Amino acid sequence: MTTTAERPQLSPGATSLDTTVVTSWKAPIAFGIFTLIALGLAVFAPRAGDTTYRWSQESDVIQVPDLVVPAQQALWAVVALLAVATLSSILRVRSKRRIPLWLVVVFAILFMFGFLTWAGAGSSLPMIGLLFGSLSLAVPLIFGSLAGVIGERAGVVNIAIEGQLLAGAFTAAVVASVTGQPWLGLIAAMVAGMLVGMVLAVFSIKYFVDQIIVGVVLNVLVTGLTSFFFSQVLAPNAATLNTPPRFDRFPIPLLGDIPIIGPVFFRQTVIVYLMYIAVALVFFGLFYTRWGLRLRAVGEHPQAADTVGINVNRTRFWNVALAGAIAGLGGTFYTIGSGIAFNKEMTAGAGFIALAAVIFGQWDPIKATLAALLFGFASNLQNTLSVIGSPVPSEFMLMLPYVVTIFAVAGFVGRSRAPAADGKPYIKS
Amino acid sequence: MSPSHRSPVRRRIIAGAAAVAASLALASCAPAPDSGDDGTADEACVRMVTNSGGLEDRSFNQSSWEGLQASEDEYPVSAEAIVSTGETDLAPNVQQAVDSGCELIVTVGWELAEPTLDQAAKNPDVAFAIVDETVEADNVKPVVFDTAQAAYLAGYLAAGVSKTGVVATFGGGNQPPVTLFMDGFVDGVAKYNEVHGTQVRALGWDKAAQDGAFTGDFEDVNKGKTLTESFIDQGADVILPVAGQVGEGAAAAALERGGVSIIWVDSDGFESLAANYRPVILTSVLKNTQDAMVEIVGAVLDDAFTNEPFVGTLENGGVEIAPYHDLAALVTPALDGEIEGLRQAIIAGEIVIESPSAPR
Repeated sequence: MTTTAERPQLSPGATSLDTTVVTSWKAPIAFGIFTLIALGLAVFAPRAGDTTYRWSQESDVIQVPDLVVPAQQALWAVVALLAVATLSSILRVRSKRRIPLWLVVVFAILFMFGFLTWAGAGSSLPMIGLLFGSLSLAVPLIFGSLAGVIGERAGVVNIAIEGQLLAGAFTAAVVASVTGQPWLGLIAAMVAGMLVGMVLAVFSIKYFVDQIIVGVVLNVLVTGLTSFFFSQVLAPNAATLNTPPRFDRFPIPLLGDIPIIGPVFFRQTVIVYLMYIAVALVFFGLFYTRWGLRLRAVGEHPQAADTVGINVNRTRFWNVALAGAIAGLGGTFYTIGSGIAFNKEMTAGAGFIALAAVIFGQWDPIKATLAALLFGFASNLQNTLSVIGSPVPSEFMLMLPYVVTIFAVAGFVGRSRAPAADGKPYIKS
Repeated sequence: MSPSHRSPVRRRIIAGAAAVAASLALASCAPAPDSGDDGTADEACVRMVTNSGGLEDRSFNQSSWEGLQASEDEYPVSAEAIVSTGETDLAPNVQQAVDSGCELIVTVGWELAEPTLDQAAKNPDVAFAIVDETVEADNVKPVVFDTAQAAYLAGYLAAGVSKTGVVATFGGGNQPPVTLFMDGFVDGVAKYNEVHGTQVRALGWDKAAQDGAFTGDFEDVNKGKTLTESFIDQGADVILPVAGQVGEGAAAAALERGGVSIIWVDSDGFESLAANYRPVILTSVLKNTQDAMVEIVGAVLDDAFTNEPFVGTLENGGVEIAPYHDLAALVTPALDGEIEGLRQAIIAGEIVIESPSAPR
């Protein structure tokens, strides 16, 4: 009571400042563009026929009936709803109110539904396969982005995720082939990723070498080393050294029988279950444990952390090593995760996408995971649409995951704030 | 406030781009494999420049190199390969090959067309051969394959063995050497439907639109696997991946899901892939680069080198489909007979497989 009464006297402008809401026209403009795109599809490229959404596989215990929608009518309905959403966002911004997140999400889902219905006219869309594949494509990205989050939260930029993934994939293939034990391959991959992480840590923390340069060099080094060993050692002895066994699918009882969710999330390999655990552990650890507090402290304000007795460089070193181990674990998905032999540069830039997911996810493990899932979804959407023969040219479809990522980063994430001491070596004075 | 916040982001993006560029540039420092004895003064020599696929691509780099090694056994010639690892080292590698003073330079892949033409113009006395690309120059011999002929037989076979009535194909990228397979494949399926009055569908390639399903690169095996799973979800049970090592993802998906078979390309997948994929390899669309290489080396040594393109066809054995191996039980004698009949018809010129990508 008294404080509110005194406030105007202390600072006359305080009340007006308190009620100021920063509004931006970004969302209404984006909404408008997407509504126009949907309208354009409905007017200039009308599609006849029904689109069938299949929600179950034949093997499922509980069958969810197919959803059949007439494509053209559904698209017009979507256009109308999108227009309503756009109008309401314009009104909200004009009356200086924020655009709620749910509106953005509903808009995105509506647009996606309209687009899918349009593109899939006359065919059936296996939703389980679409979502399952999205998760499969996202698994290495999620591990990579967790590694990125841990490293950067501790103040070390981990550009070497690509190298760690590749080192993990390579080591897992070789060790699992030689021993016949995928579990040993998994452990070896974590060690390999950790070693790459340690090299990054030593150079960036002990010798203050620019972290980005070390990371880039490590990527090149690992690419070169694995390619060299692949051509010189693995290729001539493929039967003994590069025929990895794979982790079998392990459906979780009960959970695996839930319609839609079960076949997508709970009929996976051990690596994917480890990923769920890793995401949960990293999130909980980072924000609710002493380890996480110290980790964030050395990344935000190393001097303060040092003052209260945290050994900054040691904390950073071991966390970068841990990040490497996690990325190495992600690399196993490429080889022993699906029983595929190691191939040169088989990670194909996933580490860089993971790095984008870190920034897109605002250095938060859950948001980074969602970002990686979005990328996986966009990639597999492109697959599914090209399989059913969509009317969109394939070159354009191949851009889709990147376009979606750019839009998402630029349009909806807004400003993302890196940990304050991210990328800066701590030199004790 | 805001510039200092954004700078790490910007730096990272630049660094990411730099990383890609640097990995392309620096990875090229990998040493070329030594084939043992260096060309002595009186011995003729051949240099081969690979594209970024490398020597173990189970495709034309590997088969060209095997052909050159075979020619070493047959003729007094020594061969060496220069391995390219990215776009940036193609031209320097061709330069290096020319600088070696060898009589014949073999380059592999359409990416090398420009550097090859460039060097061919500067060195009119040196013989060049380029695999899988048609170029016109007085001293460059294109070595190309009408893979559509063999893929046509494979498409007919696929339609014949499919139980679901759906077959599929996908490529690594929308490029003529890739889509040539896909054109032949869908035509073969159409022929089967015409002969048998069936409605077998071929997914993944629309010949009229010349567009279809692609993974976008030839490296990401994981993507090949998920794309193949999408095809299997649509009911496809015979799949032709034309995407180099990405095809291994297709084989892995087929193995995992069961009841699906794969048609490999370039080499016999039954031999060149790991043994655990053997149960899913129905056949392969072969490119016989080996014999073509031996022939060209022989021609160079005999001063009979011409710039006339070598076009591999069913007739000259340059393209072929591989034996059915473990899946021979799926192919009825009647179907096998029909395929043999088609082969003869293609050789006799009674059936011509049209494709905008066909070598001229």
